[in-house]
Amino acid sequence: MAALTLETLDIINPDLYVQRGYPHEEWALLRKEAPVFRYQRPGVEPFWAITKHADIVTVSRQPELFRSSQLLFISQEEPGSPLPDEAILRQLLNMNPPEHGAYRQVVNRRFTPRAVQQLKNQIETITTEVLDDLVGREECDFVTEVSAKLPLAVIAEMFGIPRADWAMMFRLSNAMIGPADPEYGGSETITENLERARLEFFQYFNQLCEDRRKSPRDDLASALANGSVNGEPLPPFELLSYFALLIIAGNETTRNATTGGLHALISHPDQWERLKRDPSLVSKAVEEIVRWTSPVIQFTRIATADTVLHGQQLRQGDVLALFYPSAGRDEEVFEHSAAFDLGRYPNPHIAFGIGEHYCLGANLARLELRAMFRQLAQRMESVELAGPAQRMRSSFVGGIKHMPIRYRIRA
Amino acid sequence: MRVEVDHNLCEGNGRCVEVASRVFELRDDDRSYVLIQNPPQALRAEIQLAAKLCPRQAIRLIED
Repeated sequence: MAALTLETLDIINPDLYVQRGYPHEEWALLRKEAPVFRYQRPGVEPFWAITKHADIVTVSRQPELFRSSQLLFISQEEPGSPLPDEAILRQLLNMNPPEHGAYRQVVNRRFTPRAVQQLKNQIETITTEVLDDLVGREECDFVTEVSAKLPLAVIAEMFGIPRADWAMMFRLSNAMIGPADPEYGGSETITENLERARLEFFQYFNQLCEDRRKSPRDDLASALANGSVNGEPLPPFELLSYFALLIIAGNETTRNATTGGLHALISHPDQWERLKRDPSLVSKAVEEIVRWTSPVIQFTRIATADTVLHGQQLRQGDVLALFYPSAGRDEEVFEHSAAFDLGRYPNPHIAFGIGEHYCLGANLARLELRAMFRQLAQRMESVELAGPAQRMRSSFVGGIKHMPIRYRIRA
Repeated sequence: MRVEVDHNLCEGNGRCVEVASRVFELRDDDRSYVLIQNPPQALRAEIQLAAKLCPRQAIRLIED
């Protein structure tokens, strides 16, 4: 392969993510030589690639100067490229202060550490059941049989969605997050795939809302259906978008951290043995897994005024893309940043974001990941790949669709 | 040195409690509270880490 240069490197083409996974070498070069880099390539609207931890923090902490917008992430133009995100969903990720805070308040108290702590026993039980299903066999697809199941079950339980509908939630989440992937999106154009999935989602949530208005329960669906923003009920489009956001976000990222975490442990047998010897390491291990896998690849911001960032002059209207996995490998923040070290402390990764849009579900994700990796460490006697991991075609979320493993597990 | 938590910003993510449980505590209103208003120097490093990790920038360290 030719040597990497700033002029030719590619961090957007979704096919590269399928073939090679995250472009860590490219990000390392950008961090070193052009941390605020004007990315200009055919088929991509020009944007600034932000790859340093400190710069992403600076941008994220000024939501007025760097606004979120309908352009959620940078993608390459291809046939039937998606509409601006706001036309698909209007939700927390593309809202700004003060609206963003007002909307976040509607469900925020259900995601605080105290609130999710009440789900701990339920999460442990679901995890045990998921792993019980592996007993008596030697091979499985870790994604569909393990890592997808736990977050899906937890978010669906929180919403009060009956078990019979979970498979549909799984399918639609995949279609919404990976519309450019042939297995997830479908056979039509990206926009058509998205539209179809959204319509199905909205019809389902609309019915759920009607039900919870008639007979409210103590679940997330009721909180949203009967919730209010500045004293008014949520408008229909925003309400249904909110459902979709929480289901999708509650599904995809934890799944990918779980899969990526096990993949990292298989590739680093010394760390796997370390965790098995000392399961009390699990909290630190989970932070390291989140830093290492960093499932969200990028979100964008738009500069609302001329400003200077890390020595570069930005103009009003310029688009910035914040590359979170790159921040997680920043040599100036993390000692031996390319080493996977389950005991790493402190671990100030920003894989959950930081500032106004800090991941609403971070506490829930942490709880799920801790339960999963604690139980895996206790029960999995051995594990290895039984085939290559298949990555999702996306430069937005780093997804692994299938990961065959060969294992021995205690009953 | 004094420590303050801005309750207009804090939304109870609890990162501060994880790294500095001697200094911060989450209470029933899902806000973080400072247990030691004037902490000793020995706690400085963990308070600085808490301030750095706070996703809402709600923690302020004020030098006397």
